[in-house]
Amino acid sequence: MITASFVLIAFMIAGYVLLDGYDLGVAAIAPIVAASDDDRLTAMKSIGPFWNGNEVFLVAGGAILFALFPQAYASSFSGFYLPFIIVLWLLMGRGIALELREHFPSRIWHQFWDACFTIASVLLALLFGVALGNLIRGVPLDAQGYFTGTFGFLLNWYAVLVGVFAVCVLALHGATFLVLRTAGPLAERTRAFAGRMWIAVFVLFAGVTAATFAVHPIHGWAIGFGALATCGLVAARVFLSRRAELPAFLGSSAFLAALIAAAASTIFPYLIPAFPAWNAGGLSMNQAAPTAGALASALGVSVFGMIAVLVYGGIVWRMLAGKVYGGE
Amino acid sequence: MEPVLADRLQFAFTIMFHYLFPITTMGLAPFVAWFTVRAARTREVELARAAAFWTKIFTINFAVGVVTGIPMEFQFGTNWAAFSAKAGAVVGQPLALEGVYAFFLESIFLGALFYARREIPSRLQAVSAIFVWLGSWLSGFFIVDTDAWMQHPVGYTVSADGTIQMSSLAAVLGSPFAWWQFLHVLCGALVTGGFVVAGIGAYYLLRSDAVRQAQDERFGRLFVRTGVVVALVFSLLAIFPTGDKNGDDVTKDQPVKLAAMEGLFQTQKGAPLAIIGMPDVQNHTLIDPVEVPDVLSFLAYGNFKANVKGLNAYAAALWPPMELTYYAYHVMVGLGTIFVGIAVLAALFLWRSALFRTPIVLWLLMLAMPFPYIANEAGWVTTEVGRQPWIIYGIMRTANAASPTVVTGETIFTLIGFVGMYFILGVLFLYLVLREIAIGPSGEPAAHGGSIEAVS
Repeated sequence: MITASFVLIAFMIAGYVLLDGYDLGVAAIAPIVAASDDDRLTAMKSIGPFWNGNEVFLVAGGAILFALFPQAYASSFSGFYLPFIIVLWLLMGRGIALELREHFPSRIWHQFWDACFTIASVLLALLFGVALGNLIRGVPLDAQGYFTGTFGFLLNWYAVLVGVFAVCVLALHGATFLVLRTAGPLAERTRAFAGRMWIAVFVLFAGVTAATFAVHPIHGWAIGFGALATCGLVAARVFLSRRAELPAFLGSSAFLAALIAAAASTIFPYLIPAFPAWNAGGLSMNQAAPTAGALASALGVSVFGMIAVLVYGGIVWRMLAGKVYGGE
Repeated sequence: MEPVLADRLQFAFTIMFHYLFPITTMGLAPFVAWFTVRAARTREVELARAAAFWTKIFTINFAVGVVTGIPMEFQFGTNWAAFSAKAGAVVGQPLALEGVYAFFLESIFLGALFYARREIPSRLQAVSAIFVWLGSWLSGFFIVDTDAWMQHPVGYTVSADGTIQMSSLAAVLGSPFAWWQFLHVLCGALVTGGFVVAGIGAYYLLRSDAVRQAQDERFGRLFVRTGVVVALVFSLLAIFPTGDKNGDDVTKDQPVKLAAMEGLFQTQKGAPLAIIGMPDVQNHTLIDPVEVPDVLSFLAYGNFKANVKGLNAYAAALWPPMELTYYAYHVMVGLGTIFVGIAVLAALFLWRSALFRTPIVLWLLMLAMPFPYIANEAGWVTTEVGRQPWIIYGIMRTANAASPTVVTGETIFTLIGFVGMYFILGVLFLYLVLREIAIGPSGEPAAHGGSIEAVS
């Protein structure tokens, strides 16, 4: 039961990374691939109907963590107080940029929100990567699982490496999504960009994998997921050059999902591993969980609800699939 | 400053700013659905334009509601870690349900409704609008249910390590305390929605000049008519039965809060109802009161001579901040009564077919628009400040609920950040909404959303 709860949290995070990941990625690459105001509008419109629903994976994931592992929710959110609030502010900036850009027809207005959109999104991708890196490497904790380190501790070489990796991975993911959703010169430029970014992601992937062996003992599961991630990444490349847009996006999605799964299986059964990760310790899921009855009801309703979300979300997403064009 | 005071200030500021937007979306969602469904059925261009207009107003409110709502979801963890660790197994559940069952519904279908107006047929628009409505009300329910549990805990056990565990999700979700509170909150939102729709309609009628006359008149009449009917029905329901039932629950479960709300210091038989009067907490008295004898006893217990306990019956450590509770409650009740008066007056003129020719009543409707917001906020201040000194009534004190590792300086820093951000957000919001209202449903369609091609 507790393991299932752990998997549900990992699923919510993977869902968030897969879906909002392409929103962040599109924002990150927009200034590079979009040549005109119209292109940037097209880029925003490609994610317009989806970003809000995608972000709900994060909000709902946070609430599910609250219900399933109250102690972990309390310790991590208050322990990393300032980084968390900064993430909230960036999320707010990103959302407001997306929503307000088109409400007023002025170039200066558009440029301002485009800049907010990109800067907030790149920083979010970086911070999420840094957070994940720290989770894998472990953080100094007291007995209740409250963080006892400093801001400086969180900006260690490994976490920053994972942060940079996250920005590149999401840029690639966003590029495969934008290729899927657009046509014409914008799509061509994005395709070319994705080809270049793929090389960077491949090199960083190798580097991060090697570095991870240096900071954390690796279980068999993680190696399996890592192999799966490699397949996804290679598939994304192959399909991109064959101009198979949907398979390329799915390949990139499989890559991301496998990375999250690998990270989750690395830290399992800890929700917040202690530093150094070599001596297994930290706030474990068994320590953070409520009683079996409460867990069963929370887990049951959450899983049922998520299945419903995937069904109607899938229907709406299919309804809105297809290419988007700029200002009409 | 005590850390917990900084946390309370931050929560109060962020929730009160945030709540302005959910009131509007909960109040407008049925109007959006109504106009969208009618437009799909009748294929009338006018209704399609009305639907597109209100969808746009709704979306701006929704966007600000979403971005200011994200911090609320996470503040339990960042600022109230001790509370979250102790009670998360219970309060986390309605919040998780809100995320899984309401947020997804609302945001996925609003994406379809707003961004894809051109791409999806009108029948699907109608379905999307109904799901958005359902999502916004469900979301409201789960939040009120969480609050109601903190007001009146049910369906829980306390385990050996001091944490609170849920024993029955059904009891938490089915709590009558929560349902009456939710219905009262809904009435508050619908009164707001009604007055906003009627007020904007009144504005169109009042501004209508020779150039824009035909269009402004048509939409003005449609909005005033629809808005006034909704405002009338729900301003009455806000008082009876929902307000009355909330009063009964407070009388039964939180008698100290009742005494603070009513400004009753002395326990007495045949307690008077204070209409106005300034509380003097040092001397335990109301200054210059206007009181109606025996009525409080009747309202609380259905008997004019019933004994009502005053604040003096309780240790001062159990009192909520008295002045704030008292004034917030009186502002809410006073405004609620005035809303009934305005709605009845407007409805009478409407019934006699004189409303659209009576500028004074239209002015009244237009100027009434901000006041339901104040009444809603005042209602929440009554219930939340009146809950003090408890964070979970009778179980956990607010003083013990804050994050042990977060210091005042951090909270003040982030509070300043929130104030700055929300100030800018507020200015942007007002600018954009006023601009959309000035353009109006008959004006130029904006970059996206406002098109009517998909419907015709």
